[in-house]
Amino acid sequence: MEAVLLNYITQLTHEQLDTPLTVDDDLLGSGILDSIGMMKLVSFIETELSMVIPPEDILIENFMTVKHIITYLKTT
Amino acid sequence: MAKEPQHKTLTSSQLSIWTGQQMHPKSPMYNMAHTFTLPISINVKVFTAAFNAVLNNADVLRTVFLEKNHIPYQITTQNWNYPIAVVDVSDKNTAEIEAWISNRTQRIFNLKECLFDTVLLKYNPTNYSWFLNIHHLITDASSSPILYKNTLSHYFNLLKKPAAEVKSLPLYEDYIAFESNFKTLDEAQPAIAFWKNKAIELQGIPKLYGATNISQKTASKRVKIKLNATKYEQLKAIAQNPLIRSFSPNLTMFTIFATLLHTFIYRVSGQKKIALGAPTANRLTPTFKNTPGLFIELFPVAVLLTDDDTFLSVLNRVKTESINYLRNGLPGLSNAKLGNSYNVILNYITANFEPLNNFTTNAQWIHSGHCDPNHHIRCHIYDFNASGKLELYFDINTHVFTAEQVANIPNHFLKLFNAFINDVNTPIAKPSILSPTEINALTINPIKVDTAISVIEQFHTQVNNNPTTIALRYKHETYTYAQVNEKAANYAVVLNEKGLDFNAVIGVHLIRSPEYIFSVLAILKLGATFIPLASDQPKDRIAHIVKNANCMAVISSEALAKDKIEVSKTILVETLNLADKATSFSTPATFNNTQAYIMYTSGSTGKPKGVSISNTALSNYINWAKKAYKHQEKYIFPLVTSISFDLTITATFLPLITGGEIVIYPEDTSGPDISIVQVIEDNLVNSIKLTPSHLALLTNNTVNQSNLKLMIVGGENFKTSLANTAQKTFGNHVKIINEYGPTEATVGCIVSTFNADLHKLNAIPIGKPIANMQAYVLDSYLNLVPKGVIGELYLSGKSLASEYISQPALTATYFVKNPFKQGDKMYKTGDLARWNTTGELEYLGRTDEQIKLNGFRIELAEIENNISSYPKIKKAAVVVNSKEPIKNIVNCAECGLPSSYPNVDFNEYNVCHLCTSFKGYKEKTAKYFKTETQLQELLTSHKKRDLKYDCLALLSGGKDSTYVLARLVNMGLKVLAFTLDNGYISNQAKENITKITQKLNVDHIYGQTPHMNKIFVDSLHRHKNVCNGCFKTIYTLSTQVALAHGIPFIVTGLSRGQFFETRLTEELFWDETADTTSIDATILEARKLYHQEEDAVKKHLDTSMFNDPNTFNKVQYVDFYRYSDVSLHEILNYLKQNVNWVRPTDTGRSTNCLINQAGIHVHKQERGYSNYSFPYSWDVRLGHKNRDEALEEINEHIDIEEVGKILNEIGYTKIDTKQQQLVGYFTATDIISSADLRRYLQKKLPEYMIPAGFKQLPQLPLTPNGKTDKNALLSNSINFDVATAFVPPSNEIEELVANIWKEVLQLNIIGIHDNFTALGGHSLAAIRVTARINDELQTSFTLGKVFELPTVYKYALYLEQQLTNMLGE
Repeated sequence: MEAVLLNYITQLTHEQLDTPLTVDDDLLGSGILDSIGMMKLVSFIETELSMVIPPEDILIENFMTVKHIITYLKTT
Repeated sequence: MAKEPQHKTLTSSQLSIWTGQQMHPKSPMYNMAHTFTLPISINVKVFTAAFNAVLNNADVLRTVFLEKNHIPYQITTQNWNYPIAVVDVSDKNTAEIEAWISNRTQRIFNLKECLFDTVLLKYNPTNYSWFLNIHHLITDASSSPILYKNTLSHYFNLLKKPAAEVKSLPLYEDYIAFESNFKTLDEAQPAIAFWKNKAIELQGIPKLYGATNISQKTASKRVKIKLNATKYEQLKAIAQNPLIRSFSPNLTMFTIFATLLHTFIYRVSGQKKIALGAPTANRLTPTFKNTPGLFIELFPVAVLLTDDDTFLSVLNRVKTESINYLRNGLPGLSNAKLGNSYNVILNYITANFEPLNNFTTNAQWIHSGHCDPNHHIRCHIYDFNASGKLELYFDINTHVFTAEQVANIPNHFLKLFNAFINDVNTPIAKPSILSPTEINALTINPIKVDTAISVIEQFHTQVNNNPTTIALRYKHETYTYAQVNEKAANYAVVLNEKGLDFNAVIGVHLIRSPEYIFSVLAILKLGATFIPLASDQPKDRIAHIVKNANCMAVISSEALAKDKIEVSKTILVETLNLADKATSFSTPATFNNTQAYIMYTSGSTGKPKGVSISNTALSNYINWAKKAYKHQEKYIFPLVTSISFDLTITATFLPLITGGEIVIYPEDTSGPDISIVQVIEDNLVNSIKLTPSHLALLTNNTVNQSNLKLMIVGGENFKTSLANTAQKTFGNHVKIINEYGPTEATVGCIVSTFNADLHKLNAIPIGKPIANMQAYVLDSYLNLVPKGVIGELYLSGKSLASEYISQPALTATYFVKNPFKQGDKMYKTGDLARWNTTGELEYLGRTDEQIKLNGFRIELAEIENNISSYPKIKKAAVVVNSKEPIKNIVNCAECGLPSSYPNVDFNEYNVCHLCTSFKGYKEKTAKYFKTETQLQELLTSHKKRDLKYDCLALLSGGKDSTYVLARLVNMGLKVLAFTLDNGYISNQAKENITKITQKLNVDHIYGQTPHMNKIFVDSLHRHKNVCNGCFKTIYTLSTQVALAHGIPFIVTGLSRGQFFETRLTEELFWDETADTTSIDATILEARKLYHQEEDAVKKHLDTSMFNDPNTFNKVQYVDFYRYSDVSLHEILNYLKQNVNWVRPTDTGRSTNCLINQAGIHVHKQERGYSNYSFPYSWDVRLGHKNRDEALEEINEHIDIEEVGKILNEIGYTKIDTKQQQLVGYFTATDIISSADLRRYLQKKLPEYMIPAGFKQLPQLPLTPNGKTDKNALLSNSINFDVATAFVPPSNEIEELVANIWKEVLQLNIIGIHDNFTALGGHSLAAIRVTARINDELQTSFTLGKVFELPTVYKYALYLEQQLTNMLGE
């Protein structure tokens, strides 16, 4: 899943990243993802994993880095 | 040759802006102007070249909007050359430059031409500013940085390299294509579903400060909201709080401001479900991020707020809802329905103007001075210049809000902002949002009046000054001031001898009479307290009052006191009237703050509560009234309302302290009190105090030369329409006063003088506080609410009661500490009110279940508690059944049927359920209709018998029946034409009839009856129209004629719509194998029942022939239009060519009958819709009229004055003058007799509190919160046979029958002993019920059974027997 996410987020940014994305990169504070990107990512995960992410869960604590996302997905 | 440019549709946002601009072509509300500072020297030629290069690259800038058949489209043209002018402003000061920019920003664009305007402002050779104004149709906030960056970077490139190529820009037309396709994509479907659901739960727009934008004007003022540096730092700190923050800093700020705006709207509107409009970006791809043009789209962000919320709890909901908004706010998915949920916009903009060539421009967004009129407040939050500091602006519509409100709005918002910053856990309802100036204006009443002199002292002054003046008039007796004083003194002496002094509390249980006045004055002379107890007070209630008030004695009369009042406490008034007693009594000196009277009002515990009124409070009201209501003459009031009612205090004292006169009208203790009508007939008074219900009784009649000068109306909500009628009836010289005041604040404490020019709303405002009184409109935290906002009314000042007698807990709840005036109390009224823009208070309902019925204040809980106290009753609920007209009527999009028609259901396209279901069986109805040839065959089938007439044709003289007659003659038939002269056929219609019958050469007779008016009146009471009575008379009389002449057929001109109104129902067509013979048989059966109804026709006309079944063989009824499908247009053409028929003009309407409109008027009044609505809707459904024609006829003007005359003439008076009545529901462990329950309550409650009907239910309906659902009871109570106890069905067959009745009669609950007719069943309903039962059980029962066996119980029993027999066979 980790690789899938890294790959999808990199695609979303249209190769505008200076260095390859890592699981610890701050996706939100650094501007890698804007709100539209974030919504696309949520939809992507929902489709990939056939799940629904409730709006209450779309928080910085769950989506700050790819690592956070993986942890969040494991707990749900 | 240039290619014809492609026609492109508009995007969803473009269409909404284009439409908005069409509505306001002269408003610059969609102009988006910016200035960009350029602190460099500019080569204008190069700058122009750079701009034009961008312009010819950005398709959207070259777009113009055209229309074809009112549908807009856009085209893009090529090769523009736009010269940029330089405006030298070096000699102008800042203000002048700003004025120039503001003025230029307001240029109106022609949508068919260029949609932008740009110039360079030159401040000095090295300082310029670029002004760029673009219409919103082709731009948005994100476009500005794109255009700025591209223009400026190309400019710098051109300076370096004149041949430099401009960087290409992506095209807006790609987005147009993208948007139009987006809705069809899989990824859009969840969002489409989301908004569809959202639209259902959204409420209408909130009224901020009670205001609406009726004028739809666009002017708005931009106000900057200043956030100081400290607050700003605190805000940033809060945004870091993990409890607050969203997944990104921008979204966090958005949710914080959305929370504050939601809270602000909640506080200034009182609405709970609140939506904000906010733009979503819609730039879903990196390409779109670089495309200039209009992408943004507004979507609602809606949350529910309550007084229990804190800022944080609201924020959490906003956070979730913001995610929903972001996920679902996608291209092209907004719609008008969503847009109708908000009037406040939150525009959070993060445009970034990056530095270029070593400078960062300072971008300014210039306000055009106008906004979309549906956006009452637009809140913009932005940081254009990466300063890290947000700027906050409110654009406030200046037509919606007054200048004062425009000034206050930012402060109210800031108060909430500060409270949020201080503590996010603050309840949202808690912080006060008003400024000290506003608080002062709302709490200080400068009007004063002297309260030192008591009422009795002022009476004594009048006795001294005018001893021989008449003070009282009663039937033929009169009493001068000296005589009244003597009697009162006499009474006082006797009372005093019985040991009653200034400490005494004395009840007065008398009818309105001189003795009542003497008693009251005597008690006041003693310095004691009186309790008025009207003659209709029941025994138990008086007993409670005597005990509760520690009453030492009750003055009463022999007739009233008997078996009612404890003998030891009774003082018979007859014993007070002793001539040999002293005729003067010296009143104790100062007793001003002692208690003058105790007035008992309905209490929610089941017992009335006593309101203690001091002499000061009484003086405050009376002394104020003396000055305020003064007119040319001395006051002459009738004493005509119940003495137990505090509004009667005015008429009791105001005349006596001013040298005026009281005319006493005693109540009739055996029936309803209608003395008020006598007052107007006698015309002895010049002033009157009464309730709106009383006033409504008076305005029914014409009043000649009334002496009335002053009319004080109080006790319940006073409708403007009634005031207008009263003013018309009694004349403009009559001053009409609306007086508001609960008993707890002495008679009246807020007062408005009716002004027809000023008072245009549904009800007259209650007005302004009287002298020494303050009125506060407060929220649940006892904060003053801003002007215009609804809150609970609290009262304070000298008129206030001191307590509820012997009820300290209740007193503490309702008389609370006045936070605005130390040491004072204020009374919590439970009334909702608000200040209007002219400084008067408006009454807006109750916070609880206290009601006013015909002026009487009633706690429904008091009645409920008394019902529940009856043995075996478990739970009770009382509702007020009102016949309030339905507002906001919509008409079915297809047939025009109004939403006020009972039980009509509309689907999402506004199509009624009748149209929808008709589509399902329309084809099946075809077999019922036949051809003209078949008609001819039928009517000539008797020809061999050589009759004088083949048929009788009913001729009203209208177009439809005239056409029938003409066609029958044309078929070669011998016709006798028959017209009912109901006394109201217009002269021109009669001329038409003469002309037609002569021209067609047919015999004609008029039918008549001397009982026509009685039939009309009966029809009005029974059916709320005149037509039913008229039709039946026509059938009856024409049948007599047909029988006498041996005519075998009566041909009617009923329209096809009328067939469906009166005889055809869906059920008749269920059985597809059934032929028309069986349908005809059913209809004939219904006709027989129809003629058996016990109405005025049966009573006054000879209907004996209908008892003979053979009559229906001798005479057959034939509907012409069953055989002819001719259209209205064809009829009119035919009549024009063949019979010279002209539309009568002397009825003023499209009818030939003058009484017709009176029937329609009564029907509209009583039922809320025209009696023609239903048959005409069928005409439309069947294609005989179109919707517009039907609506035009239904909405024809009614001449109310003429209607009044006609109704008077035929002797129609409304039987039920009560608009409202009480209905009691209860559950019990056994079957309870309503009559027993009523007798029980009569001992406990005054008559006006006893429900008009009772209904036992298996259980009371509940709301989701588990409370009794009174709305459900209300919707069910109209047709109840309230005298019958409810017994639920006990077996399957009863269940089946009850369910069918419920469906057909549209009721929720039916007991097995309820009577079919009493439930509203009639012959049409009988057809439906019988058809459904036959369908369900495969039986063939006849219609009449429903009337023979009119209860579910009896019918089911019969069914069971029949079924058993059938099975046995």
